[in-house]
Amino acid sequence: MSIALEERTTRLRLADSRPTTRLGRFKENVYYLRGRGALEISLVYGAILLAFVVAAVANPAGFPFLNENNLSGVLSQSIPVLGILAIGAGVLMIAGEFDLSIGAVIGLSAVVFIRVSNEYGWPLAFVAAVASAVAIAVVNGLIVVLTKIPSFIATLGMGFFWTGASIFVNGLSPAVFAPGVRTERLVSLFAGDYGYFRSQIVWLLLIGVAAWFLLHRHRFGNKAYAVGGNVAAAKAVSIKPNVVKLQAFAFMGLMTGIASVLIAVRASGMQPATTEDYTLLAIAAAVVGGCSLTGGRGTIFGMIVGAALIRTIENGLIIGKAPGFYVQLFVGVSIVIAAVFNKLMEGRAT
Amino acid sequence: MTLLELRGVTKRYGPNTVLDDVSLEIGRGEVVGLLGDNGAGKSTLVKIMSGVVPMSSGRYYWDGEELAHVSRPETERRGVETIFQDSALVPTMSITRNIFAGRELTNRFGFLKLKQMDEITTEILDTVVSIEGIKSAKQLVGSLSGGQAQAVAIARAVHFKRSLLILDEPTSALAVRATEALLNYLVGLKAEGISSLLVTHNLHHAYRVCDRHIVMNHGRKILDVRREDTSVEELTTAVVEGVVR
Repeated sequence: MSIALEERTTRLRLADSRPTTRLGRFKENVYYLRGRGALEISLVYGAILLAFVVAAVANPAGFPFLNENNLSGVLSQSIPVLGILAIGAGVLMIAGEFDLSIGAVIGLSAVVFIRVSNEYGWPLAFVAAVASAVAIAVVNGLIVVLTKIPSFIATLGMGFFWTGASIFVNGLSPAVFAPGVRTERLVSLFAGDYGYFRSQIVWLLLIGVAAWFLLHRHRFGNKAYAVGGNVAAAKAVSIKPNVVKLQAFAFMGLMTGIASVLIAVRASGMQPATTEDYTLLAIAAAVVGGCSLTGGRGTIFGMIVGAALIRTIENGLIIGKAPGFYVQLFVGVSIVIAAVFNKLMEGRAT
Repeated sequence: MTLLELRGVTKRYGPNTVLDDVSLEIGRGEVVGLLGDNGAGKSTLVKIMSGVVPMSSGRYYWDGEELAHVSRPETERRGVETIFQDSALVPTMSITRNIFAGRELTNRFGFLKLKQMDEITTEILDTVVSIEGIKSAKQLVGSLSGGQAQAVAIARAVHFKRSLLILDEPTSALAVRATEALLNYLVGLKAEGISSLLVTHNLHHAYRVCDRHIVMNHGRKILDVRREDTSVEELTTAVVEGVVR
């Protein structure tokens, strides 16, 4: 039996208007990607990339953007680390929460990685570093869901706490690998140089694909969007918001843990209290990539492009010999523009 | 035969008593109207029945068996579906993902069967409710009009209902014809043995389709009467003045 909410005579059946060809389905999918941020930011990134390439070809000495050393040594290391952090921060934002302790946790879990490596070798250290980052994120998450205080404040406070904790554990002098610990194998796995790219890119690709499946093709993602998009609606269909939020916190911890290992191996050491910048950069990358500050909106692809955009422009400013504060000016302005843009998109989602 | 029974349900928010010792029954295959002015406690009662909000005290019986812990997963297992007043959809998700939110069709690893869900959604939108202007099941709910979103919420509840359909002001965003269709649908459900509870301001709607009417006033039940024993006039007096003559 049916409920005819409109007269049926003039109406096309939805089933008949669905695309039947492969191309038609592709077009439909692209059409419904509109209004989710990723497509728009990709166009912006493409334009910037094109401009940089043109500038580099026209003036290779003055703007060495396509230099192998620049592509491999700078971009293919900096983009993946920020991309992985943006994926963590972005998934958490989709579920409606923030973590302002990302930078502090990177410091702590990198210290854990280096010190455990020195004692027991890097494989166990990798597990320990990732596990500690996940555990910390879950503790942050528990504080948020149990006390109902905004995650903004809770994780801001916890960020200071974890920075203090890593200084307490390690002291202010950098933690460094003991001689013989930072083996070739370790470096080739986490920071290997393969000409035009580095191993970090492979990590980003693997994590990006896995995160895409988790967020866009798995039940977890559907629930995360529901909780962040309308928590009352999520509860009404038996979704447990606290559980979903804790899972999102744990996922973010996983990303932070992996990123901290990539950073530690590349830098071959870690001084606590020097990684705070990553917090806002990761959130900025997610926002630039189309994640809504109020939750429920964002894509993995957008988060990665957001990170690439920030790092590429930063790189362009540096090799173009712009004064250092330009980078901060740019990051600040781009966050505001992206947030305003996201707000506008929310009004007219297709 | 009684399907759902509430006994002595009280709900307090801090010092405010929103529901005060409310008892009621809904029979199998019965259409019950829940009436009352703004602030009468109708929506709170609906939320308690659907397990979204816990009661402060009282008992909840299903098929004569008392539920120790009333939660949304528990009522969902028993086949209760609710169309909430604020339609309870997620604007940033597609129609398909809204319909199946929390009840996703997945393989055993939890990965979504999106194609299948899209097909079912298309089928539901074509057959269960029919409303102009929805182009694809992939459309975001945020891009729909109020009436279209209401239709999606109705489609979801109708698709998943198995024993009790609760409608909280379902017609607020619907046009006249759509409202008629929905009311007729409720009458038809009786034949399938499915009960419904219609919460509405519109006494004429309620009077036409409901077998029984419950009138609430300031958190108390003031009238519970079969259609043949009452009139629109009596119901109006009860709703507007809070007195039963």
